Amino acid sequence: MLKPILLIEDNPHDLELTLVALERSQLANEVIVLRDGAEALDYLFRRGAYAERDDGNPAVLLLDLKLPKVDGLEVLKAVRESAELRSVPIVMLTSSREEPDLQRAYELGVNAYVVKPVEFKEFVSAISDLGVFWAVLNEPPPGSLRLQRRPTSSRDAHDTPD
Amino acid sequence: MHNLLSYALAKRRDSAPNWHDHAPAEEAHVASSEASISLDTASENCAKEPIHIPGSIQPQGFMLVFDVTSLQVLQASENVREWLGVAPDTLLSHDLHSLVLEASAVSERLQALPDDGSQPFHVGDVHMRLEPPNERSLAMVAHRYDQVLIAEFEATDNTRSAYDTLYPLMHTFIGQLQEAESIEALLQLAVQEVKRVTGFGRIKAYRFDADDNGLVLAEIADPGYPSYLGLCFPASDIPPQARALYCANRIRVIEDADYQPSPLHPPLNPRTGKPLDMTFAALRSVSPVHLQYMRNMQTQASLSISLVVRGRLWGMISGHHASAHGVGVHTRTACELLGRVLSLQIEAKEAQAQTQHLLSLRQHIVQLLSSMADRDSISEGLLALPEAFVGFAQAEGAAIISAARCDLVGRTPPQALVNALVHWLSQGSAAGNTVFHTDNVSRDIDVLPELGQYAAGVLAVAISQLHSHYLIWFKPEQTRTVTWAGKPEKSVSASGALNPRHSFERWQQTYRGYSTPWDPLELTSAAELRTAVLGIVLRKAEEVAQLAGELKKSNKELEAFSYSVSHDLRAPLRHIAGYAELLGDFEGNKLSERGLRFLEHIGESARFAGTLVDNLLNFSQMGRAALRFSEVNLQAMIEAIQVEMQPDYAERNIDWRIQPMPVVIADAAFIHLALRNLLSNALKYSRPRDPAIIEVGTYSQGDEQVLYVRDNGVGFDMEYANKLFGVFQRLHRMEEFEGTGIGLASVRRIIERHDGRVWAEGKLDEGAIFYIALPNRPIPPLTT
Repeated sequence: MLKPILLIEDNPHDLELTLVALERSQLANEVIVLRDGAEALDYLFRRGAYAERDDGNPAVLLLDLKLPKVDGLEVLKAVRESAELRSVPIVMLTSSREEPDLQRAYELGVNAYVVKPVEFKEFVSAISDLGVFWAVLNEPPPGSLRLQRRPTSSRDAHDTPD
Repeated sequence: MHNLLSYALAKRRDSAPNWHDHAPAEEAHVASSEASISLDTASENCAKEPIHIPGSIQPQGFMLVFDVTSLQVLQASENVREWLGVAPDTLLSHDLHSLVLEASAVSERLQALPDDGSQPFHVGDVHMRLEPPNERSLAMVAHRYDQVLIAEFEATDNTRSAYDTLYPLMHTFIGQLQEAESIEALLQLAVQEVKRVTGFGRIKAYRFDADDNGLVLAEIADPGYPSYLGLCFPASDIPPQARALYCANRIRVIEDADYQPSPLHPPLNPRTGKPLDMTFAALRSVSPVHLQYMRNMQTQASLSISLVVRGRLWGMISGHHASAHGVGVHTRTACELLGRVLSLQIEAKEAQAQTQHLLSLRQHIVQLLSSMADRDSISEGLLALPEAFVGFAQAEGAAIISAARCDLVGRTPPQALVNALVHWLSQGSAAGNTVFHTDNVSRDIDVLPELGQYAAGVLAVAISQLHSHYLIWFKPEQTRTVTWAGKPEKSVSASGALNPRHSFERWQQTYRGYSTPWDPLELTSAAELRTAVLGIVLRKAEEVAQLAGELKKSNKELEAFSYSVSHDLRAPLRHIAGYAELLGDFEGNKLSERGLRFLEHIGESARFAGTLVDNLLNFSQMGRAALRFSEVNLQAMIEAIQVEMQPDYAERNIDWRIQPMPVVIADAAFIHLALRNLLSNALKYSRPRDPAIIEVGTYSQGDEQVLYVRDNGVGFDMEYANKLFGVFQRLHRMEEFEGTGIGLASVRRIIERHDGRVWAEGKLDEGAIFYIALPNRPIPPLTT
């Protein structure tokens, strides 16, 4: 079973657009959507509503910077401080290119920092590249399963107009 | 008793040979140090001569000293022999009643004398019982002093004279005084009046300067009398104890320089055991030195009226007559009153002048302060009002020395010398003084001998407690010629006593190296100005600190604002672009061609808005990011930009004219951006030209390196030149030339952050030139 991609995004529009972008990138991974930082930490540390979830760490965290309750940087910090989760790749997605955020994210050990492009085609390609790189190309830590790309011939049902 | 009598006589004998001794004037010029020492000693002796206790009187009247209560005679002058025909000793057994016919009336009036009144008082005209009745009446003038009642008897002047002299004097003179414009005019009125009432041959009025030299300011003289108007009488003419006496007793008459003094019997005042203190006595005998002085001046009779202003002997009205000349009691009283009224008038005039001066100084200070408060620096505030600044201290030049600059206004020494003066002020013997002043720099600042060529007077005010910051005023040399009424030197006789000077011939002396003196009010005001300036400096420092605080705060706010612009504004734009795209993807086949075009415009607008937001964010970062200075090779940079932009103009015919470029000190990344914007603009707006000519050149101007980019493009109307560098300001329609309108605003921001300037020249359809000027900077230290 492929490891899931964890998408942590509070804005419904961004969520929908990102999901479309992920669909178009033709990754086979399951996408688990979490809507704020607290929920993300619950999932990662198997607490609260996620206490009973299956073992295993996600393939990659697509983490929005600004999140309700616990923000992206705090999630990043908590993950990097945990021995079990430390090796999970984290990609910070954000609207902002503000320097302090960027610097702080790298200090906390982010793997990539992506400013979401306004242009949708660019956005799709950015998300797609990220998924492919982190979920497919990147050599996961020992013990993790290597991900497979779906065959390119079968296009997503949503994508194909009737 | 015998001793004291012999003292007076011995003194006379001692001086006697000199009285008629018309020694040649050369005697005064014995130019040996020995002579000058003995002259000093003699002058000191003269100053010690106890002139208020001469032991004798002038013989134009006689003196009886009474016990204050019993009115018994205690002392009598020798000349009662001549006046009353009796030996003085015989009077000692008498009292007032046995001597004076009108004794009861007199004693009644004496009762009325105020206890503390030491001024002589005319108690009445009396008849002496020793003389035949109705023989003659004598004016009796009395005052209580030295624990006794001193009575002086003189021949009466005409009884009508009180009405003749006093009342007209009071009426007309006092009335005229009020109308007099100047002190000189006051004095002129006074000498005329005094001459009228006394009949002296010459009356002059003089005023003492700070050194007590007396300058004659008004004079009226009969024909034959030499004029002394405008001449200066040296301070040494009047020894200090004589000045003190003139202050106490405001009128002094010497009727005849050749008089024979008449000693008192007994010589000592029995109530004190000492010689009688005749400070206030009209008949007090005169120092033989003074009598000699009078004879040397060829005057036989003299009159002195003191002018006392604020307790100091301000000046004198003095009268001279070629022959012996008396002044009666009433006339004397009138003259004394005149002197007092005149003194008050002078005091009022001076106070008024001082108030005027103070007012004008204050006005200057207020003007200067408000100017300083309005501007960014003390220097600018003062320089904005050069006349008020220089004129404040009646100077002709001034300098402001602060950390960064030395500004000179008006007539001043050259800058290097002013700097040397500042060094002296902060390090030299005057260091530590908040206000320094001199009216003779050659004398007081001898380490800077060149200074005297440019200024004689210096007033310096330290305006910082830490640094060598000063306000300095300069006054030019004012050569002053004093015409002395004769050589201001006395001589010493063979016996060691002082000879008064013989020569009253004009004798000129020129004083060089002096400026006009600094008025004490100017010095006080300079100190006030200093305090106020320090206050302003302090306030400015506080303002700067507050500004820095506010700036920090607004920078923080700007950061927060940029953040929300970039984050919050970008997100919805992204959503619009995204959903427009998706709508096209999913439902595009259902839309008409028009609908698809609209959708495309929605996407385009959202993307453009995204670019605007990004540019704005870049622009704001440009204002905040720290500059990293290094050597920037402009030549290499422009070549690199040309290569970078190759794709934009590959198809076009461009005539590049790049002159050799220098290396400057700047932030390479920012300058790159600025030059890129300028070149990009030049390319853009020359698009319609074939060939497009783009020229880049530099030149040096003052402390700046100027770079310009000229194109032969569409240019612009100079009317809008001020809009060029504004954020989001565009002079062209979007269809003509694309862009967000932030390029030149960025250029300006970048150059201004380098403390440089930007400007542009252009003409519609004829091209434009954009200039950037960067200040020359030292090469930054290598950072490791």
